[in-house]
Amino acid sequence: MHGWTKRLLRVNLSDGSSVIEQIDEEILHKYLGGRGFGAYLIYTTVPPKTDPLSSENILAFCTGVLTGVRVPTGGRSSMSTLSPLTRTIFDANSGSEFGVRLKWAGFDALVIFGKSSHPVWLEISENGAQIHPADDLWGCEIPEVVSRLKFKNSAVVGIGPAGENMVLFASIADENGRSYARGGVGAVMGSKKLKAIVAHGNQKPGIADLETYKFVNYEAGKMVKASPRTSQGLPKFGTSVLVNLMNTYGVLPTQNFQLGEFEHAEKISGERLRDEFLTKRGACWSCPIGCKRNTKTSREEGEGSEYETIYALGSSLYIDDLETIIEANYLCNRLGMDTISCGATIACAMELAQHGRLNTELRFGRSDLLLQTIEDIAYRRGLGDHIAEGSKRLSDRYGMPETSMQVKGLEFPAYDPRGMQGQGLLYATSNRGACHLRGNMLGPELLGTPKLLDRHISNGKAGILIVLQHTNAVIDSIGMCKFVNFAIGDEYFNRLLTAITGIEYEVQDLQLVGERIWNLERIYNLQAGFSRSDDSLPPRFTSEPLKEGGSAGHVVHLDEMLADYYRFRGWTHEGIPTTKKLTALGLEQLVKERNYA
Amino acid sequence: MLNQFQRFGYDLFYRGLTSSHGGNMSVRMGDRIVITRTGSMLAHLTEIDLIETGLDEDDSNIMLTSSELVVHRAIYQNTSALAIVHVHPPHAVALSMAVKDAIIPIDSEGSYLFRKIPVVQAETTVGSKDVAKLAAETLRDYKIFMLRGHGCFSIGPVLEEAFQWCSSLEESCKMYYLTRTIQAAQIAVSQEVQENLEYRKHTDDYQNW
Repeated sequence: MHGWTKRLLRVNLSDGSSVIEQIDEEILHKYLGGRGFGAYLIYTTVPPKTDPLSSENILAFCTGVLTGVRVPTGGRSSMSTLSPLTRTIFDANSGSEFGVRLKWAGFDALVIFGKSSHPVWLEISENGAQIHPADDLWGCEIPEVVSRLKFKNSAVVGIGPAGENMVLFASIADENGRSYARGGVGAVMGSKKLKAIVAHGNQKPGIADLETYKFVNYEAGKMVKASPRTSQGLPKFGTSVLVNLMNTYGVLPTQNFQLGEFEHAEKISGERLRDEFLTKRGACWSCPIGCKRNTKTSREEGEGSEYETIYALGSSLYIDDLETIIEANYLCNRLGMDTISCGATIACAMELAQHGRLNTELRFGRSDLLLQTIEDIAYRRGLGDHIAEGSKRLSDRYGMPETSMQVKGLEFPAYDPRGMQGQGLLYATSNRGACHLRGNMLGPELLGTPKLLDRHISNGKAGILIVLQHTNAVIDSIGMCKFVNFAIGDEYFNRLLTAITGIEYEVQDLQLVGERIWNLERIYNLQAGFSRSDDSLPPRFTSEPLKEGGSAGHVVHLDEMLADYYRFRGWTHEGIPTTKKLTALGLEQLVKERNYA
Repeated sequence: MLNQFQRFGYDLFYRGLTSSHGGNMSVRMGDRIVITRTGSMLAHLTEIDLIETGLDEDDSNIMLTSSELVVHRAIYQNTSALAIVHVHPPHAVALSMAVKDAIIPIDSEGSYLFRKIPVVQAETTVGSKDVAKLAAETLRDYKIFMLRGHGCFSIGPVLEEAFQWCSSLEESCKMYYLTRTIQAAQIAVSQEVQENLEYRKHTDDYQNW
């Protein structure tokens, strides 16, 4: 076994059956695994207009070709599904050890479909799947579920009450809050009455060319140590190192993106988190960077908070009480909810209240109501039941859609695009909605990776964004972490792949794989009814300049960038991949065979 | 965009990476290329020195473009490059005629950045279809290569990066040259140290990178 196991485990929860299938090697070569293979599975299995919470939708846990191999950050995996929040093709990526254990159990992918009539949990081993009743686990928070099911050499992921109640931004997570977080993947799991999955096994992947693997791995390790981002910034402060930086640039979203600068940023900064709450650093499996934070408040301890969480549960709500933010993070982890969409939807509710559309005590700055609101969402109590539907549906319900900061239904991460033109284009074109993990322009627009570009200029951003989108699709598909890309580039990924699989990959082969994945996801979304008009931003970003801070006076010039973007991609001006493009990517036949439109 | 071409063109000449009228640069914009005019002085580019033409299709502007257009096109058609720099760095060109398949940097910076720089050769070296084919193949897996006896072609997502590879290549080749010169002339070299004092691991593996 070199890299891939070439085995897929398919489980039908409706009748309790399961089957082990061989995966066509050509498909693995074309999509690599992880997000890429997940996109292929969704495209070929789930018709685009399927109800995401019906038995026809699937949960596809896909490991990358490098998942479970000792390479820097080789512990990540993807979970693909049709999102109930966005109705787009969706993959959520996680650093949970679950992916490693799934691979070591001998599977590249676990595909779950159907629906159980009663709560169950699933055990995955080298022999296949076993379904167990979970009535006694239903209603439990995630750490308790894991503590009851986990044993030596196993890994567990599960849903909390939010997933059971099909909150549209419910997550699937392990005991440390390492989550397949976004898009409501936990709601899909809840709809199937699946509480948890345990994977165990010890079949470690073989290496085709051990000597080359050692050499390239050694070189990659040197680069990780040489980069100040991966050897100092992230290990010392975690991702929260970005709070003060982004605030200085005027792109720290504040008060539901009404401001780009938070006057109390210092109180929620990475520096303060380190000085007052950090107990020790943590790392995902095989990660030399170690950006995770183990923290302790006066009442609890746990893991967090990341920069995105501090924005969503902090500055975006105008809350500067870091202790409450951290505890809200712990609570989201236990209940099983994506902190970004949770916080951003609460921010939307607060703005609706600010405009008198919502009769609630929730107001910007009310940290005293935060923990109760989060519980109400997970259990769908009162206003929490409406917030549980995400900001798009919430703002539509109360007649102010412009207060929802989302693209294609997915709430924004923590970078105001008015101060980063390319980031605005990224959000608008991302196949899963507003997301910073599909080709983050933070590197070229603010950090200078690979080179610093003028963040306020829109001209020339389309080309580099497309390259980054492809690189990110590849990283998601091989099972590594995007942070490693701060230190090592494409030429390491293909050399590691070649050494581990024994199949010759060049840098440009991987760019082509990334482009193939991006276009397949795009075709699926088009068939689901999305169009050019969905490659858009909330009007706040294109017509309301920021008034203060480091990005004052700017709006996103999306239209001109979007025209360039389609042209650079070889799509029509309506954003549809041409036949010529599909042929070049080896997708023409697949699209013909599976055209649901 | 003119500003970028001017900035890096100036640096390429004044850092001695090319002669007064040598070298060329381009950027890709979707299915179009903007490339320097044939015979233009990289250190003194103006608006009329930037020529736009098709990536795949010819138009009348090919009368004005650098003679290396054929190579630039082939590179863009086969890689994800968005910028290309071609210059004639003297130490690198000299070294390309003294090594067989690759230049292996011996200095730390060059070793980190490149590990190895492939050296390829063609009988016709300017505006050549053979070079175009070799360039497209080589740059699928490397960010810079040497055409023996001629110069280097480098790629990047922006001009600055393509410029960096040329600049760093020449610096590494200078280090190589100085080290070998010192060794050959036995300047400050003791009898017992006749070869490189290696500080890296996996030294023999760089040839296979």
